[in-house]
Amino acid sequence: MAKSISLPRRSALDWKAVVVPYLYLGPFLVLFLVFRVYPLLYGLYISVTNAQLGRMSTAIVGFQNYSALLSDPRFQTSVVNTATFTLEATIPVLGVPLLLAVVLNRGVALRTLLRSAFFFPFTLSVVTVGLIWAWLLDPLVGPITFYLNRVGIFPPPWLGDTHTAMPAIVLATVWSVTGYYMVIYLAALQDIPQQLLEAAALDGAGGWQSFWSVTFPLLRPVMLFVVIIHIIGALQVFGIIFVMTKGGPADATLSLVQYIYLIGFQGSFRLGPAAAMSWVLFVAIFVVSLIQFRVFRDQAEY
Amino acid sequence: MSQVQSVPGVTPAKGSATIRRIGRRPLLSGLLLALAVLWTLPSLWALVTSLKQTPSIFKLPPVWIPAPFTIEQYVAIFSNDRSTDIGRALINSVVYAVVSTVLVILISALAAYPLARMKFPGRDVVFWSIVGSLMVPGVINIVPLYLLVYTLGWMSTYQALVVPQLASAFGVFFLRQFFLSLPSELEDAARIDGANSWDIFTRLLMPLSTAALGTLAILTFQWSWNDFTWPLIILNQQSMFTLPVALSLLQTAYSATSYGPIMAGAVVSALPLLLVFLLANRQIVEGVKLSGLKT
Repeated sequence: MAKSISLPRRSALDWKAVVVPYLYLGPFLVLFLVFRVYPLLYGLYISVTNAQLGRMSTAIVGFQNYSALLSDPRFQTSVVNTATFTLEATIPVLGVPLLLAVVLNRGVALRTLLRSAFFFPFTLSVVTVGLIWAWLLDPLVGPITFYLNRVGIFPPPWLGDTHTAMPAIVLATVWSVTGYYMVIYLAALQDIPQQLLEAAALDGAGGWQSFWSVTFPLLRPVMLFVVIIHIIGALQVFGIIFVMTKGGPADATLSLVQYIYLIGFQGSFRLGPAAAMSWVLFVAIFVVSLIQFRVFRDQAEY
Repeated sequence: MSQVQSVPGVTPAKGSATIRRIGRRPLLSGLLLALAVLWTLPSLWALVTSLKQTPSIFKLPPVWIPAPFTIEQYVAIFSNDRSTDIGRALINSVVYAVVSTVLVILISALAAYPLARMKFPGRDVVFWSIVGSLMVPGVINIVPLYLLVYTLGWMSTYQALVVPQLASAFGVFFLRQFFLSLPSELEDAARIDGANSWDIFTRLLMPLSTAALGTLAILTFQWSWNDFTWPLIILNQQSMFTLPVALSLLQTAYSATSYGPIMAGAVVSALPLLLVFLLANRQIVEGVKLSGLKT
């Protein structure tokens, strides 16, 4: 008898325990399903159609959009350019912030002020960064060209030259992101147990010796993290190129996302091929992300 | 550190620690200072350019102190006679960034609460979907999102800017982790006193989380303020342009070498975050360490 009384009460409680959490989750879940999950599947569908803005009926064309990419020279150019940008930026992005963080961490004067000076460019939008550097690198009246001329160097017209346009974009990018990675390195440096460094000092290790044998090995997971974050971001480079070169000269800086933009959102708005390219990019980024996931797991184990 | 080394009870002034550090590492401090100055020059050059009269902008050798000092470049970009209206773009950017920030905080906190504090069927599926979506870069979705927004008839509207950003997987993940780090004893006590889940959320969890909410607010504000690709694609009406979009098109509105107005625009768009940065330096730096999760 007692059992039959308590049963409905418990199921009423259970009912509440299921509904209440979903009331809190509701707004997010609806938005998440509509603007994250659905577009992912919808995008995959678009990539196998001949979708075009304003076209009344779209037909499924199978993998035609993907196979067409293989024979599209501009797509290949954009892949090569994106890879070049990513690689050219990797060494400075890995090295410069690390160097700054190590020196800052050794206790130099005006630490906060210096840290802010390096970090500030990271708060700017890519548009602002691009505009500032386009002006600095102006081939006729820009200050960089002027001062280089003064010391006897006569550089090519930077953004107007197929050889220097990409390095110039890399330079602007490195300038803006260095502070961000520096802060990540600083956090990692502060997590290094002081006892380890003291033990190394007791064993007679000098400054650089203890850096190479204690600090550097402990920083390796963070360096890997920085490289992966950098690669994921660099594979999607767009805004700074849009502002500085629009992909030129002669497609020398045409990136993958810039090409997606040109195909999908300019001219005849060919959304099918643009979606196919997005998926190719997604697969590339996903592979990098998987490595990141493994790194995180290994870090957790360590 | 300086207190440890000094005589007990005698606290050296902060300045003397600085001087001692320079004394101890003169080369390193000097080198880093020089590099920091170099790093500041591009921003400074933008500011200096924006305060010059047009002829002096093109003077060689470069003039580093604007003489005569003028605000005419700012007056030019805020007047409506050109094809871009920076004043209107400023308003649009403020609306986009502020509304997104407030709503992202609210929606993320509501969703993070049950994920951190309740047991219910489907919780793990929801949580891992959110974590999984952190690995999906935003750029992948622009084509289908564009078609969705187009179908909804939202082109060139505030809702097209704001609404797709509100499903912030990063926000939910970030706040869930923070909520988990808070001790649950207080909640148990409140529950015994008859508080329901809403009381606990609004009177206990939220007040305890102001630091985390502040960090998320700053990050969200920065992302939407500087957002470029999405606004560029869905805004095709001049009057709806946000600052980054309007700035990127200033080059076409004037000529590519109209550096005066362009740099004035660059300074205007940099100011709000500079202000936030000066006021909440530490929170930004703390937040940035975690933001690697958002790609």
